[in-house]
Amino acid sequence: MEIADLHLQLNNRLPLGICVLDADYRVLYWNDFFSDRSGLALADVLGQSLLGLFPQQARYLKKKIDSVLVLNNASFSYWQHQPHIFPFCSSRPITGEETLMYQNIEFLPVECQDATVRSVCLVLQDVTELASYFFAEQQVSARLEQEHSELKALNEKLTMAQHQLLQSEKMAAIGQLAAGVAHEINNPIGFISSNLQTLQDYAVRLLKLTEFYAKVINKAGNETFLAMQRDMQQRLQFDFVRQDLPELLSESIDGIERVSEIVKNLKAFSHVDNAQWQYASLVDGLENTLKIAANQLKYKVEIQRDYAADLPQVYCQPNQINQVFLNLLVNAAQAMDHKGHLYLRAWQQDQSVCIEVRDTGSGIAPEHLSHLFEPFFTTKPVGSGTGLGLSLSYSIIKKHQGDILVRSEPGQGASFTLVLPLQGPDSAG
Amino acid sequence: MMTPLTELQRDALQELMNISMGQAANALARLIDAKISLSIPKIVVVDASEFQQMFQSERYWFTRQSFLGSVKGEVLTLLARAGTETIGGLLDYPLPLDARSNEELLLELANILAGACLHGFSSQLGLPAKLSMPTMFSARQRDSDSFNWASTLLLEVEFQLEGTAFDSRIVICLAGPSVGVLLQQLNALLES
Repeated sequence: MEIADLHLQLNNRLPLGICVLDADYRVLYWNDFFSDRSGLALADVLGQSLLGLFPQQARYLKKKIDSVLVLNNASFSYWQHQPHIFPFCSSRPITGEETLMYQNIEFLPVECQDATVRSVCLVLQDVTELASYFFAEQQVSARLEQEHSELKALNEKLTMAQHQLLQSEKMAAIGQLAAGVAHEINNPIGFISSNLQTLQDYAVRLLKLTEFYAKVINKAGNETFLAMQRDMQQRLQFDFVRQDLPELLSESIDGIERVSEIVKNLKAFSHVDNAQWQYASLVDGLENTLKIAANQLKYKVEIQRDYAADLPQVYCQPNQINQVFLNLLVNAAQAMDHKGHLYLRAWQQDQSVCIEVRDTGSGIAPEHLSHLFEPFFTTKPVGSGTGLGLSLSYSIIKKHQGDILVRSEPGQGASFTLVLPLQGPDSAG
Repeated sequence: MMTPLTELQRDALQELMNISMGQAANALARLIDAKISLSIPKIVVVDASEFQQMFQSERYWFTRQSFLGSVKGEVLTLLARAGTETIGGLLDYPLPLDARSNEELLLELANILAGACLHGFSSQLGLPAKLSMPTMFSARQRDSDSFNWASTLLLEVEFQLEGTAFDSRIVICLAGPSVGVLLQQLNALLES
């Protein structure tokens, strides 16, 4: 076989498109690859301008070919940048996902004997398979990336949840401890209180008795006894004792009453307490809760009350509702940094009683509003909030078939409104 | 390893490079219709860590392409990050450049510059070599040990496009056995 024939056969056998142009972009030769893909036989295109045959890409082709002609230097076209220079179909028409062939093209200078470039050879390589493999890889890596970032976010959430869980467990433990302590203290306080009452009674009697004695001695008029009595009274500072004793006693009784009030409240708010359904006044509950929260609110928070008169009682679990009040009050106090105005409002609306707690604090950021009632959501630093308060409140109110509404703008404070049906969960539609 | 070139050989090579670079610059100037200035070619001897240092700069993009023929090696091109828009405009790219067209531009530019340099180099010395497609190169993470360093010779040229912030450096690295081929050719030229 002649070497020229061999070259020709190879040209047509190679999985490459080969096209040779003269300096005016006219086709001097193209192999079977080009005729098969374009549907134009060599005879049909011989001497025609490649730019005219593929007008869509004429500008790009011209630029590349010119660069080869001027610089006598090969030029390249990459599938990543210019995937489909020639409008050829994919090499995988049946199973492939791609419809157009991805192409790498080399533009080679073909030197003539005097070293000037007279013609340019285009070598086209079908890289569809490579490209689709690359795209698949890219997709996989994008998915991996996404999954990775999701996992990372999840991990962070988990760590945070764990922190808060620990915190809430701590709080629960403290609550139980408080309840236990309250229970233990309750007993001694009981007998101290009743003993103090008795002591007060006895003291009154004793003072009466000494008065009686003094009167008897005065009546008898014996100077010696009178002098002895005066002397004794002075030495014992009896005048002062007689005056101070009842005061001391009543102060102590007052004090012990306050202690027992605190203990009672502690018991009422510890989880140990059973949640009974009964008719109760929400305003009373709110006021009682204010006393509990007084520690958080006092001094710096001014409370403004606006309660509608003659509000009916609501069938509810008062302790649980108080828990909700407490959450709202404590949140308000913290939002105001314990300084500002707290507006409490109560009114009736159809068959429900509404309670509004509004503060003049920092308000709630819009992006936080939707997460407000999610368990473990908190904007307070770790340790200050469990992230459970509002979610617990929400579940309590929902159990009452009521509603809890939030309105807030950052910097403008926040307002929480509870809507509770008068007749409890069974009545609400 | 130190350069295996004698003073005489080095001067000769530098002169040959200078001529060919001038031709390359001319051709390029004709293509993009702009003034190009270039440095006197340097035949550089640097150690591995200095070589690696070249690719640490934030100022440049890097490309590489290999060449095969009577001499073998790689051409590394450093292209300034600044001023690519101007070149893009000269080379008829749609502006502003997005990431894809920026990469296309860089590869085309690297190919033109490297091709011009290598062409000059190989035609002056009569050592034909054919360049392959350039690709983007990131040597940042690479250890200097991973370069096959022991017997490479660096020929370095700087191109600057006048009136722009753009500049580039072309580094031709010859693989070990090719250095010998180059020396033979140089000696033949010097003797004649």
